[in-house]
Amino acid sequence: MKLTGALLSSIVLTAAVATPAFAALGGDSATVQADVARMKGALRITSNAGVTVHEITTSYGTVVREYLTPGDKVFAVSWHGPVNLDLRQMLGDYYTQYEQAASMPHPGGHRHLAIEQPGLVVQVSGRMRAFVGRAWVPGLVPQNFSVNDIN
Amino acid sequence: MRNLIALSLIQVTFLAACGGGGYTSGGGPPPSQNIATPGPPNVETITVDMGPSGVSAVNTAYVSIQICVPNNPAICQTIDHIEVDTGSTGLRILAGALNLTNVPLPQETNGTPTVFMTECLRFVDGSSYGSLRFADITLPVSMKTASSVVVQVIGDPLYPTVPSTCPGPAENTVTAFGANGILGVGPFAQDCGSACVATAVASTYYSCPSTSTCGASTATLAQQVANPVTLFSSDNNGVIVELPAVGSGGAANVTGSLVFGIGTQSNNGLASGVTVLQEDPGTGDISATYKGAAYSHGYIDSGSNGNFFTDSSLSACPTPNTGFYCPASTMMETATLQGTNTTTTAANFSVANASTLFANFSYTAFSNLGGTNPDANGFDLGLPFFYGRNVYTAIENATAGGYVGPYFAY
Repeated sequence: MKLTGALLSSIVLTAAVATPAFAALGGDSATVQADVARMKGALRITSNAGVTVHEITTSYGTVVREYLTPGDKVFAVSWHGPVNLDLRQMLGDYYTQYEQAASMPHPGGHRHLAIEQPGLVVQVSGRMRAFVGRAWVPGLVPQNFSVNDIN
Repeated sequence: MRNLIALSLIQVTFLAACGGGGYTSGGGPPPSQNIATPGPPNVETITVDMGPSGVSAVNTAYVSIQICVPNNPAICQTIDHIEVDTGSTGLRILAGALNLTNVPLPQETNGTPTVFMTECLRFVDGSSYGSLRFADITLPVSMKTASSVVVQVIGDPLYPTVPSTCPGPAENTVTAFGANGILGVGPFAQDCGSACVATAVASTYYSCPSTSTCGASTATLAQQVANPVTLFSSDNNGVIVELPAVGSGGAANVTGSLVFGIGTQSNNGLASGVTVLQEDPGTGDISATYKGAAYSHGYIDSGSNGNFFTDSSLSACPTPNTGFYCPASTMMETATLQGTNTTTTAANFSVANASTLFANFSYTAFSNLGGTNPDANGFDLGLPFFYGRNVYTAIENATAGGYVGPYFAY
């Protein structure tokens, strides 16, 4: 699924200055800018019903979307592309929780990973040249927003 | 210990060597399966078993590979339990299984003599980090060879500092990785390809002025880790994984063949009745339809230890097997696979109760193991799908049996 016509405004920017900072999940829109710089990507911003989506596209085809609450907090991220994302960067403060959960034995081995904890959901799948994943913090997801729309 | 127990319980049945057949698709019995006899010039022995000591693998196919210092055929080591992976590209060896003191493989540079290259291999559940070194390799049964192959040495003790951009969990030991190495013989010629030539892709290739200061780097196609099959002097356009059928209760272990080349020898032609499914050249994906739903991320992958797809009608297993399916009775399922060339074919498989299967601790091969797929668009037919059928994986841009890769066929 794509971001559809229901999304309203659309602005295209390109990456500018590098301000290294860990970003994404739990961060605010300033940290998204840091991600844009870090990934040397192009940024496209859309919004719908108070949720703002920052979509970063890299030159090599990885697409990252960061979903922000009306209060400017990243509550979800999604990505797809030829290489898996640097989740240390993308999950921010939630990375440690991810790493502990991912270290446990799980079905799917190197190919599939599903983490469902009260404070963090991560779903990643794929293999070389074709990865797809998403993560969100259930407690931060705005009311009336369906997690099915994180894609 | 576990391996010895497993070996004492071999119950493998070859449903092979029937020959002829004249099977046409659309009904009737499945085509008879011919499994090529291991040996020169192009057939390697595959074994499905528990894996190296300390690993309790399920549905994981292994080969052995001899690694030599380039141009030094006396300085070699043969390493067993290298996973056969049609879903990745390149040969990677765990440092824990390779004696670098006895077999000092030279390092790859980025072009500057003292600046060496490393790589972060990204999986969905972690990363494997290590040096890039040159080796002459021989597949010991087929005697297939390739010279000065760029091999990733995962967990190389010379590079103990994993860059912060290579995220965890670390899979740098044999037990964390699940094999002594991996032989990626998938649809791509290099692991990264043109993207890494143009850009220092995040979390992929690194250049190291010192062993603790590795920074993201571009890599030419020649510098990248390549599909070893493309480096053979012949039989270099793809592979066929040929594993015999496994009964509904599973098997302690399985022996089959990894055939190099498609349509290059008398033993590797596209057999009659085989359907070619062209893959998306960017992702290697085909599409699938299952119970009326479309799945855009379809693939056939020996590196997946189950068939992974979404089906809410199948009961999920209780812990500790959460994520696998545990139906009350074995379910017969059918998906329709479609290549980008619009060719379609049926994929028949079954799903048994995973907890029941796993209760037989000494068994490692299950044809009916299924699980959920975190990607709602994903339809992953893993090693269970390979049992009882020969699965072809043709490499991008190579002509194989009259078709140009990448494609899957069975």
